[in-house]
Amino acid sequence: MRDSYRKQLETLHTELIRMGALCEDAIASAVKGMLEEDEAFREKAIQLEKEIDLKEREIETFCVRLLLREQPVAGDMRQITAAQRIISDMERIGDQAADIAELSSFIAANPMAAGLIRSDIHIGDMARAAVEMLSGSVDSFVAGDLGKARGVIEYDDVVDGLFGKVKSELIELIAKNSGYGGQCLDLLMIAKYLERIGDHAENIAEWVVYSITGNRGHEQRS
Amino acid sequence: MKRAILVFACALAGFSILLTAVLIHFAVYWSFSEHMEQAAALESRYIGRAVERLGTGYLRSIESDGSDEPDERRFRVTLISKTGTVLYDTDGDAAEMENHLDRPEVRAALEKGSGESTRFSGTLRKRTYYRAMKLEDGSVLRVAGTTDSVFASMLRLTPLTLAIAAAVFFAAMGIGARVTRKIVAPINRLNLEAPEDNVAYEELDPLLFRVKRQNDRIAAQMRELRQKELEFSAITANMREGLLVLDREGCVLSCNQSALTLLKAGSGDPRGRSVLTLRRDEAFRRAVESALGSEPKKPERAEASLQVGGRHLWVMANPVMDEGELQGAVLVLLDVTEREDRERLRREFSANVSHELRTPLTAISGYAEILANGVAKLEDAPRFAERIYAEAQRLIALVGDVMMLSRLDEGGGESESEEFKRERVGLGEIVRSAVESLGDLARSRNISVVLDLPGKDDEITITGIRTLLVEMALNLLDNAVKYNVNGGEVRVSAGRTGAAGKTENAVFLTVADTGIGIPPEEQERVFERFYRVEKSRAEKSRNGAAQGTGLGLSIVRHGALLHNAKIDLQSDGKSGTSITLLFPGP
Repeated sequence: MRDSYRKQLETLHTELIRMGALCEDAIASAVKGMLEEDEAFREKAIQLEKEIDLKEREIETFCVRLLLREQPVAGDMRQITAAQRIISDMERIGDQAADIAELSSFIAANPMAAGLIRSDIHIGDMARAAVEMLSGSVDSFVAGDLGKARGVIEYDDVVDGLFGKVKSELIELIAKNSGYGGQCLDLLMIAKYLERIGDHAENIAEWVVYSITGNRGHEQRS
Repeated sequence: MKRAILVFACALAGFSILLTAVLIHFAVYWSFSEHMEQAAALESRYIGRAVERLGTGYLRSIESDGSDEPDERRFRVTLISKTGTVLYDTDGDAAEMENHLDRPEVRAALEKGSGESTRFSGTLRKRTYYRAMKLEDGSVLRVAGTTDSVFASMLRLTPLTLAIAAAVFFAAMGIGARVTRKIVAPINRLNLEAPEDNVAYEELDPLLFRVKRQNDRIAAQMRELRQKELEFSAITANMREGLLVLDREGCVLSCNQSALTLLKAGSGDPRGRSVLTLRRDEAFRRAVESALGSEPKKPERAEASLQVGGRHLWVMANPVMDEGELQGAVLVLLDVTEREDRERLRREFSANVSHELRTPLTAISGYAEILANGVAKLEDAPRFAERIYAEAQRLIALVGDVMMLSRLDEGGGESESEEFKRERVGLGEIVRSAVESLGDLARSRNISVVLDLPGKDDEITITGIRTLLVEMALNLLDNAVKYNVNGGEVRVSAGRTGAAGKTENAVFLTVADTGIGIPPEEQERVFERFYRVEKSRAEKSRNGAAQGTGLGLSIVRHGALLHNAKIDLQSDGKSGTSITLLFPGP
């Protein structure tokens, strides 16, 4: 009985890793689709978003069943609660990846603007930082690594800083070249989504900290 | 077991206590009744004799002299006349009593002299014993003793009986518990690791014997298993390939160190955890999922290529089936970085060769087209022809270099073909001929070539492949001239390293120039095929008199390899390059 319970907890862990990996793929594809102007990657990101939604529902049901049937306590209870929160953050990440993919196709519609924008704006750095944060948070979850989770929480400031930088760069670009206003706005939204992805990754890291220590280790951001 | 024994003991004790109580009651009752009957018989005889002597007055005296309480009197005495009329009764009014002639004891007494009978009074739950005796005057004296019936007496004694039973029962239980403990203790103390050493109960011996046999068998199997595991881990631990064994759910059952190193997995034992904790790339996931299969899909062998920290891994995932049922999967990880790199080099080489062949051909085709169309003026024709000739020369040089390289790639040094025959070759002679053939080029760029060779050629004679050595010297000198500044100097020196040198008795050949140098970060790469330090530099030289194929130093490196020679490149990246070939002594 208890043995099968342990096994179910392990399955939950594995499924979360799987969902995290899907998110990583989705955001990596979306970023690639944006930076390399590859339609296939953009479509893949949108496809992955659907897969992530399915996975979320699957894990949600699994968690509820575990809670009802096994009535877990203490650490196990925290693990399941954290899992429920993590999947909703991951689901949001998937949505934002799909949104980025959609927006990039608008930018790609004007190759001149796209090239100019990409060469002058730090959006690539920002995307890489966000992807790194997500990977870090999933890694910390996989290994139950408290130090790594705290590192991710701190790294969020870097992404936030990059967002500010990208914003001011875009303002400058519009001032110089008002013709690219539309693309610039799309790019600003992409930057905002990336910043949100960073926040979600931070949340995931906080839930990892919670599942290990019992408190979230960082004030909840609004 | 303790519990069972205790319950049985208690049940047994309870049952026997109750049974004993009932049976003893019966026995006592029986003996008591007997006693009473004898007493009644005796009494009737005494009273009869007394009545015969003293008349009925005696009876009255008993009554008046006894206590008033009828209960305390043991017997009721009745005197009955011959006709059955009650003459006297101690307990009642004789006048009111009915005729007693029909009573069995009275009748028996009248006939035989004495008689007895027992009667039960249902309402009173009493048992009355009557003893009658015929007196001398023919009347009958009857004595009656009354006791409780057996059940009534039992009922009366029940509370006492139960109290005693309970007391005895609890005592029995206490003793029972103690006894149980005593019985069970040796069984609890049994040492099942060494069953034959136990001296508990001989009834347990067959069981212990079997336990011992089982123990032996388990120990043997454990030894065998450990042996197998040792063999397995010895094999896998020394494999360079990574090996992961997964169960049906994708959890790691076993893995070797190489697998963890290749996957750059952190510390901690991955066994019992999902393989996805090691790696979760899409390609890896798909390979694992394919090998384990999911409901509609059958497990299938899958391969994937991964990139882990700059290294290329090739993953082969094989399902493990047993009697048509999936048992798990085996993953084999190979480090294919070198193969991948070689493949990349080969691709680059083919691309470069095509590109390098195309450039002169395009030029030739262009000039030839102009000449053919007659667009060119007649006086320009020799110039065009000259360009066509130069490009063709370059093409020939390039094809020659490529062929040389491909021959070297095929390990020409090992096969004793005519071309790669090893013989005694004097380096001096080779250097001189190379300098001669490049003399025009050097002069055209005002470059002075200085030779610094020892007096005797013997000193710098080595065993080698002549054609290859010529090619190497030519390439080195060619580079020294081509990448030199106008009016520069090329110094070629050869000789034997003295005893003081690191490599004793080796022959060295150094070509030093005063040219543009090679930046330190590029020094490793210049020996790669088609690698040029800067594209712009190649272009510059192309516009000048000399054009390189980008293969020269590559040929030098290959040649050095075949001669077991070392190459030493010295350059500060700004001015002057010196390349030394160090051949092992003869």
